Amino acid sequence: MDRPIAYDKLAREDRFIRMRARRVSEIRLEQGLSPFPDLSNQESIKERVHGILVGELQAMEGAGRTVYDFPEAPWEFTMDMARQVWDESRHVEIYVRLLEHLGGYVGEFPETTILWRCACAEDAAARVAGVNRGLEGLACDVFNQLIHIARKIGDPILEQAVDFVLADEITHVRMGSRWLNELTKDDPERRRKAVEFQEAIDERFNLGGIRREGDHEEVPISIATEARKLAGFTDEEIARLIKATQRSPVY
Amino acid sequence: MVAHPLAGHLSVEESAELIRQYRYAEERMMRVMGGWIALTPELSAKLLLGRHVWDCAQHADLWGKRLPELRAPAHVSAPASEAFVRLMDLLESQEGFHQTPERLAGIYEVLKPHLLAAYQDHLAHTNPVYEPPTRRILERIVEEERRHIAAGRVVLSHLITTPAVEARTGEWRRRLEGLLLESGGVSGKPTGDLRGPDVPVDPTAIAQDLARLERPVGRWPVPAELEASVEAHALHLKRRDLQALEDDFAPAYRQAGMATYAPLLAFELATHRIVGLGKLGGHRLVKLRLEGPAGTAVVQLRWAETDGRWRVLEAEVVRTEAAAASS
Repeated sequence: MDRPIAYDKLAREDRFIRMRARRVSEIRLEQGLSPFPDLSNQESIKERVHGILVGELQAMEGAGRTVYDFPEAPWEFTMDMARQVWDESRHVEIYVRLLEHLGGYVGEFPETTILWRCACAEDAAARVAGVNRGLEGLACDVFNQLIHIARKIGDPILEQAVDFVLADEITHVRMGSRWLNELTKDDPERRRKAVEFQEAIDERFNLGGIRREGDHEEVPISIATEARKLAGFTDEEIARLIKATQRSPVY
Repeated sequence: MVAHPLAGHLSVEESAELIRQYRYAEERMMRVMGGWIALTPELSAKLLLGRHVWDCAQHADLWGKRLPELRAPAHVSAPASEAFVRLMDLLESQEGFHQTPERLAGIYEVLKPHLLAAYQDHLAHTNPVYEPPTRRILERIVEEERRHIAAGRVVLSHLITTPAVEARTGEWRRRLEGLLLESGGVSGKPTGDLRGPDVPVDPTAIAQDLARLERPVGRWPVPAELEASVEAHALHLKRRDLQALEDDFAPAYRQAGMATYAPLLAFELATHRIVGLGKLGGHRLVKLRLEGPAGTAVVQLRWAETDGRWRVLEAEVVRTEAAAASS
């Protein structure tokens, strides 16, 4: 196998419908819809859950590739990535079942592959910065919001299942925080590039100002400050993210 | 004659050497399975590999941590022979879209059954007085390998859908088994049957390893008018009715749509079926699988209802395969 593989080698059953993220947003906007599901109704929640499902799938695939692509990395790093593969495989099953719980099915909405593209970064430090800290950090924000919505609409199944996934995600971000530091400890240039990669992902996933600081009732996606602190983000990093969300370009 | 309770089968150094060999097999298998997940289309197989990557990583970790207890450096993997490395190289080589059965057969019908046999044989020969640390690792791994093999076989038999796939997978398994035999196995010192006996496993025990298997979709929830339009469109494509095909596209997309179809129109397409159906706001995304004597094409179409009829706004050929590729 190549190390890494080309991103277009990502294999899917025919029932999955893959599209570019930008194109999906454009088509939604052309129809007068918000660029992303806004969780204002059951259909929108189902679409968000489907988006998370394919994100979990790509996270599993990405962590699996990291296990394969970096045989020279420290053994404990490999162990963390292998553990993440297992966690993500359970998350996929959880979200498949949640999707069905909401009356949906796999393939009901398009799959975009931004997460997978990030998981194809050639440097292990960039991967953990981009995927574990950038995207799994975003997952903390999104899951926190989904738990809030589940509580609000009285869906304990959704609430409890997502809360367990959130606990795992915090662990994955923590792994990312640890390995970003350890893999780059004697190489400031490598660290700078990895952090830049993460910040570019954070910027992109501020979702045109949808992710912001504030209460769940006041902003579309609230930055999960407490979850991020548990995951090893420093106050300074959280402040920088909040600042970035205030100047994020429209997606 | 009854063996002395302190009689041993392997020296400390020999134990460490064997453990490095086990670790090589477990570590390499774990990395290969991790790498394959993205290359494997079927969800049941992806999730199976995903679950077992972590177990295999733990097996490699247990072996790696046992080594310093045997006066050897921790976490060192060492293959028994070049021939065993060649076996692993060959096993890893099946990375094609349609080669999931070969991938699973390599792991669950050849490598894991062999490791299970080797572990069971080792366990039977360990000394119960001074080797319990090794015995405990072996007992745990034996139990997990048995579960993995049983779960892997369930998914593998689900994916063997035609006699051609069965024959192809069987041929691959025999090729790997030949190389395994030639290599002498994980230790390079075969101690009997390299594959070991088949041991039945309680189906409830493997539930944790299996996500649900894919089921054929009986009927997609396609709106009736759209279904009629999709059927007509597929017919136009099969008949190569250019005028009718053009008319199926929204006016602004006619030229681009016909250009997308140009390569398909050179081939005879005999059958079609819907294999995917998605939503994007009010638009519907339909995936059609078209088959003919020369091969298969999968097209993805975005449909919208305009002026009282469904029209294609966008078409993409997502995959084409020669006839032999998917059989």
